[in-house]
Amino acid sequence: MEDMHVMTSAMSTQNDTKISARNVQVYYADNHAIKDVDVDIQDKTVTAFIGPSGCGKSTFLRCINRMNDTIDVARVEGDILLDGEDIYDRKVDPVQLRAKVGMVFQKPNPFPKSIYDNVAYGPKIHGLAKNKADLDDIVEKALRRGAIWDEVKDRLDAPGTGLSGGQQQRLCIARAIATEPEVLLMDEPCSALDPIATAQVEELIDELRRNYSVVIVTHSMQQAARVSQKTAFFHLGYLVEYDDTDTIFNRPQDNRTESYISGKIG
Amino acid sequence: MANSETGQHIVSAFDRDLEQILALIMKMGGLVEVAILDGARSLETRDIELAEEVRKNDKRIDALEEQINEIAATTIAKRAPVATDLRMILSVLKINANLERVGDYAKNMAKRTSVLAEMPRMNGSEAGLRRMAKEVQGMLNDALDAFVQRDASLAEDVRSRDLDVDQMYNALFREFLTFMMEDPRNITPCMHLHFIAKNVERMGDHVTNICEQVIYLVTGELPEEARPKDDRASFATETELS
Repeated sequence: MEDMHVMTSAMSTQNDTKISARNVQVYYADNHAIKDVDVDIQDKTVTAFIGPSGCGKSTFLRCINRMNDTIDVARVEGDILLDGEDIYDRKVDPVQLRAKVGMVFQKPNPFPKSIYDNVAYGPKIHGLAKNKADLDDIVEKALRRGAIWDEVKDRLDAPGTGLSGGQQQRLCIARAIATEPEVLLMDEPCSALDPIATAQVEELIDELRRNYSVVIVTHSMQQAARVSQKTAFFHLGYLVEYDDTDTIFNRPQDNRTESYISGKIG
Repeated sequence: MANSETGQHIVSAFDRDLEQILALIMKMGGLVEVAILDGARSLETRDIELAEEVRKNDKRIDALEEQINEIAATTIAKRAPVATDLRMILSVLKINANLERVGDYAKNMAKRTSVLAEMPRMNGSEAGLRRMAKEVQGMLNDALDAFVQRDASLAEDVRSRDLDVDQMYNALFREFLTFMMEDPRNITPCMHLHFIAKNVERMGDHVTNICEQVIYLVTGELPEEARPKDDRASFATETELS
């Protein structure tokens, strides 16, 4: 089992590039939040973004599905390519993009609707289901992939907000994957969860890696080390170091990375 | 990397844990060095009381080994060390085991001293063993300095000095073989002396292991190229001696 893990994580370095960012700059009005970021994020790989608060990791994550478009003063420069296509191209519809690039947030935020409707919402508005039976299938599949099906299958009509925090978060992950995205962005998905719910979400992330490219922002070094195959360390808006997770946590090349991950005054 | 290695942790208790482990390793190393020198001296001067002391002190070395293992395990559990901190703990665990083993060999030398004291002397071989032990003790001292100072080049240097120990062992091996061929009554003492020589040679190997851990601690990688070796006794035949 352990050997298999080593093998797959070694293989992950050979995966294709899913997202390619070149010379990315982000400004919030006069504040230059992201500086000269170049990064290639691989398909079927979990990539962790780590760094101190305010280092730009969440900002960069939000560039990948154009969430920064919703902030008036935010301005993004440079190229971000998804499968070789510029996501900031004028022809790209952000709504369609966000169906391809799903997102899960820090606090579980289910809609004040039933569990079923929470998951069915995305497929419905994107017209992914031909009929009710089709929609039922999509919902069940997403809930199964979200590793929450067994816990909710008997109460799909119950409100999503009535679930426990960990269940709500897995429901949100199920909701995000219901539109069959190719990339899943997660902004500190476990910071509001207890250790057991965290373990369940981490297990789920590892499962998701088979089908998706997952990018996760986390403040937990241990979580980054556990779930990811690639780790990027951001500091003061710069991408300082990006390498195999094993390398980052065993022998980081940059002093700033070393100081940050080992909790030193740098 | 120098900055981050000397940099302090935000949680200062982590630094205190690491300092405590380091202090215990140095204490243990000191005891082991004394055991090597005293063991060899007791052999040469046939000092049975000193030999007895070496055997008793080995219990302190063993107790320290256990204590260091325990603190290292607790540190891993509590602090989840990464990068240099992780390599530090991992190398501490290995250095700890190597030191304990060297201590065992010194104790074994002291045990054989009490037996050898009853037998005829073997024409100055004990002095040769003492010189060899002195060399190993010097290497150990430098290896531990390299560890504390995180000096990979000093560790590399010590590692290459094991060649001298190997050569001293080969010379002693030939000497014992000659004595035994001369007179079968020499066989018993020479066998004991040979075991001692072999054990001191092994001490040198454990010291080189410690050096490799220092290199790993500093660079993040174990040395790749094989170290110089000259332990040929395993291939020795009688004809080689003529």
